[in-house]
Amino acid sequence: MTASVDRKVTELDGPPSLGPLYARAAAGAALPGGGGRDLPAREIVRRGVSVEQEHLADYALACGFGIGGALPLTYPHVLAFPLQVVLMADRSFPLPLPGLVHLANRITAHRAVTPDETLDLRVHADRFVAHPKGAQVDLVAEARVGEELVWEGRSTYLARGAEAPADNPPGTDIAEPSTPTGTGAATWKVAGDTGRRYAAASGDVNPIHLHPLTAKAMGFPRAIAHGMWTAARAVAALQGRIPDAATYDVVFRKPLLLPSTVELVTERSGPDWSLAVRSARKPDKVHLTGRVTPA
Amino acid sequence: MPASTRRAAVIGGNRIPFARANGAYSRASNLDMLTATLDGLVARFGLSGERLGEVVAGAVLKHSRDFNLTREAVLGSRLDPATAAYDVQQACGTGLQAAIAVANKIALGQIESGVAGGVDTASDAPIALHDDLRRVLVRLNAAKSPVDRLKLVGQLRPGQIVPEIPQNSEPRTGLSMGEHAARTALEWGIGRAEQDELTAASHQHLAAAYDRGFFDDLVTPYLKLTKDNNLRADSSVEKLGKLKPVFGKGPDATMTAGNSTPLTDGSALVLLGSDEWAAEHRLPVLAHVVDSETAAVDYVHGPDGLLTAPVYAVPRMLARNGLTLQDFDLYEIHEAFASTVLATQKAWEDAAFAKERLGLDAPLGPIDITKLNVAGSSLAAGHPFAATGGRIVATLAKLLRERATEENKDQRGLISICAAGGQGVVAILEAKA
Repeated sequence: MTASVDRKVTELDGPPSLGPLYARAAAGAALPGGGGRDLPAREIVRRGVSVEQEHLADYALACGFGIGGALPLTYPHVLAFPLQVVLMADRSFPLPLPGLVHLANRITAHRAVTPDETLDLRVHADRFVAHPKGAQVDLVAEARVGEELVWEGRSTYLARGAEAPADNPPGTDIAEPSTPTGTGAATWKVAGDTGRRYAAASGDVNPIHLHPLTAKAMGFPRAIAHGMWTAARAVAALQGRIPDAATYDVVFRKPLLLPSTVELVTERSGPDWSLAVRSARKPDKVHLTGRVTPA
Repeated sequence: MPASTRRAAVIGGNRIPFARANGAYSRASNLDMLTATLDGLVARFGLSGERLGEVVAGAVLKHSRDFNLTREAVLGSRLDPATAAYDVQQACGTGLQAAIAVANKIALGQIESGVAGGVDTASDAPIALHDDLRRVLVRLNAAKSPVDRLKLVGQLRPGQIVPEIPQNSEPRTGLSMGEHAARTALEWGIGRAEQDELTAASHQHLAAAYDRGFFDDLVTPYLKLTKDNNLRADSSVEKLGKLKPVFGKGPDATMTAGNSTPLTDGSALVLLGSDEWAAEHRLPVLAHVVDSETAAVDYVHGPDGLLTAPVYAVPRMLARNGLTLQDFDLYEIHEAFASTVLATQKAWEDAAFAKERLGLDAPLGPIDITKLNVAGSSLAAGHPFAATGGRIVATLAKLLRERATEENKDQRGLISICAAGGQGVVAILEAKA
């Protein structure tokens, strides 16, 4: 889509440490100036990433996946996520990292990726456009085995009150998946430490997920679940039912406050699945809607 | 019930490489491994979305939450979720007994296809609460008044925190399996050298089988392992001879960590079906299940060793089928310990034992050891208890098929698996030319 853009490549030798990056971004956001008007023409690259059994097992356990022959569909996201943060925490990035809201996410696995494969990861930012409440941007990740593209992710974030350059062309939004409304397929008691467990497994240590107090400081009544945890937990329930090559779209709706009891609703239509995670007490309060289609 | 029966076909198998405990699979659960093995089987035989007759498997070391282990594996797999499943457990006989259960239903025409096997992890073993603590907690849960609860809390003692870790020992004798096997080894005068020879052969045979690609369609890599990691291709009698005995006492002790199987994690399954089902699915038949027998011995108060039940099971099965022990082209005797395999053979060769204990006029006689465990067995591959039966059935069925094709002659194989609790499961497979 944006192959013509010439991006400056930054290669990382190892996994970046996210705590200091968040701290720097928080400090940077408090300072005047900084941040370009438009997206930086940069690409963050990490080559030769191999899967560690402990990390994979912690992630699988936190999200409800089994440890199978293939990586969970959403797992490469947590390998690529630190690269997103490197890009967004940099002074050249036009939006402040603290307070970014994850609106939607699309993942496409082109085939099963096995834990013994070595991945090359690339991340860049794309589609910086106006949103009714501010500006939104996509962080685009890809994973390759050698030259072969095996996995892609597109995370859409909103910065409230921010402005995007007026002349940036709008892209196509992830169409809101339909919300299944039937009987819940499963009830989950989502524990209060879910955010901390997922943070440990994913590296996403955003304070709104960690503790009621840190969440309050950011304007939430309690800690909220990571959107990508909810997305992972939901698609984990479809283990065995969806093909290896699949596209998984999710749109995040109401924050899932911790602890909570929620229901997963699934609906099958031919090879496609739609799903929703909703409050068990108030079924019209929907936290996430999603759709899985064969890729 | 039908008036006649048919022989179930062994169509193929799938297992993950076996891993020494607390290593490559230390974070994988029984459910993880069984589901991955089932999905590998489904992929290999193109069974995605298929409703099979049933899936039967089990685990020896099992968490109470895994009561429906096999059914849960089916629900997480690519099989049609309308495929029924149940768990079995017969210690090291689990995998073979599961295969027999499925084969018998196929033989009766009750099902057309099925999957059987087992899984075990010694790494993710269930650790139970101290019994005293468990009892207090159960009563605490049922207690109605705060006073009752307080009284119960008063019964808690620091010593109760020590958990009960599963032991590889017999509840009635308190002896480990190795100690039991050492008694049998002593009784039959099994020497150190012959045990080490059998062990080295197991490693060399397994390594050679991997080298010639024999396991390419029997094993699916898992968590970065492509081969059983207990395998030592360079194993030799000299190297094994340097190990110190770990079971038995004094100068007569012969059993080492080398000629005994290590604690292992792994999973193995076989696909069984009627000939018609196999043909409909365009799947070749490797071999057929001819018959099976399960025996048990009184190893607690009686004269028999813990792992000697197959010694009794085999002659009963042979008699029923009008066969002698020499009527086999291949033998698979599970190597729980090298001494077990050797003691089993000695018992079959012993005239007095045949007469007094087996009630036979003549001993079964020797077997040609060039036909024994020709693709390696548990000493080299490792022995995740419930997974061993599935490994052996698939291995033997494929070996018989290869030989039947090469020699254009029917081939017959014997499986003998000893199990904790003084039980033994044996079976006959046959491949048509």
